[in-house]
Amino acid sequence: MWLPFLGLVFGLALGLLTNIQIPSIYENYLSIAVLAALDTLFGGIRAQLQQVYDDKVFVSGFFFNIALAAGLAFLGVYLGIDLYLAAIFAFGVRLFQNIAIIRRILLTRLDEKRHERNKNSIE
Amino acid sequence: MMNKKNSKENFLSRKQFQLLIVCVTMGFIIGYSYNQAKDNRDAGSTNKELLEQEDSYREELIAQQERNKELSEEANALQEKIRKYEKSFVASKKDYTKLVEEAEDLRLLLGDLNAEGKGIRITLQDGDYNPKSANPNDYIVHESHIFKLLNELKISGAQAIAINGQRVLANSYIRCNGPVITIDGKQHPAPFVVEAVGDSATLIAALNLNGGVVDQLLNDNIVVSLEEDQKLTMPKAKVES
Repeated sequence: MWLPFLGLVFGLALGLLTNIQIPSIYENYLSIAVLAALDTLFGGIRAQLQQVYDDKVFVSGFFFNIALAAGLAFLGVYLGIDLYLAAIFAFGVRLFQNIAIIRRILLTRLDEKRHERNKNSIE
Repeated sequence: MMNKKNSKENFLSRKQFQLLIVCVTMGFIIGYSYNQAKDNRDAGSTNKELLEQEDSYREELIAQQERNKELSEEANALQEKIRKYEKSFVASKKDYTKLVEEAEDLRLLLGDLNAEGKGIRITLQDGDYNPKSANPNDYIVHESHIFKLLNELKISGAQAIAINGQRVLANSYIRCNGPVITIDGKQHPAPFVVEAVGDSATLIAALNLNGGVVDQLLNDNIVVSLEEDQKLTMPKAKVES
C-alpha cells in the first residue's frame, strides 16, 4: 500500500525538478492531462471501495483518457473549436461524481462501524 | 508476464507495479503543471513591474515637457521685451535704426519671429514615373536639389525660408532619408513646398537665370512650379519639447 504513495511523491518531485518550458499553446493539453489523471485516480479509489476494482480497466483508463483528452484538444485547435472544453467538462463532472460517491461510501461505513460499536457496548 | 509476476510475487505484484507507474505519471503531471503555473505567475508579476516603471517614466517625461513649454514661453516673452526695448531705443536715437533692422533680419533668419510678407513659393515634385529609366533616383527630388534651391534663395536675399511649413533656420540640417527628407529631425515627403519671404522679383529672377537652379532642377526631371505670393506667413520655429 505504501508503494503507490511513494511513487506519487517520487513523480511529484520529478515534476517539480524538471524545468522544461513548453509553448503556451500546449498549456491546454497539460490542464486536460491533469484533469484526466485526477479523474482516473478518484475513479480507481471509488471502484476499490465499491469492490469492482479491476487493474486492467484502471491502467488502460488512465492512459487512454489522457490520450483521448489530448487528442480532442489537438483536434479542437486545428478545427478552431474549443473541444478541450468538452474534455474539461466531462472530467470535471465525473470528478465530482466520483468524489461524492466516495464520500457516501465512507459515510455509510462510518455509520456501520458506529452501529457495531454501539451493539458491542450494549451487549 | 507470468514469469515476471512469479519471480517478483513477494516484493512487487503486477497490480502494484501498474499502480506504481500510474502514480508516478500522475505525480509527474501534477508537479510539472504546478511548476508551469508558478512560472506564469512570476512572469505576470514582472510584467506588472515593468508597466509601473514605464508609467513613472512617462509621467516624468510629461513633466519635463511641460517644464520645457513653460521655459520656451518665458523665452518668447523675454524676446518680445527686448524688441520693445530696442524699438523705444530707435525712437530716441535714429542712428541705431540700421542696427535694429539688422537685428530684425537676423531674428527672422533664426526663426524667432513669425515671418510675414511678400515672397515666392516653389513646389518641387517628383517627376512622372518613367518606364525607360531603370533607376528611380533619376526622377525623384533629392536633398541636394533642396540644398541648391536654399542656397540660391539665401544668396538672393530671402529673409525667411520654410519647407512644407517648417522654418529652416541658420543652423538647420537637412538629410536624405530614402524617399523623404529630414529637416531638424522631422520627416517631410514630396512634394516639397519651399516658401521664401523676400523681394519676390529678385528671388524669381535669381532662380530663373539661364543655367540657374530651375534649369538644373528641370534637367533632373523634377517638376518645378514657381509662384509669387503677396502675403506669405510662416510660423516661428518651434522649440522641440
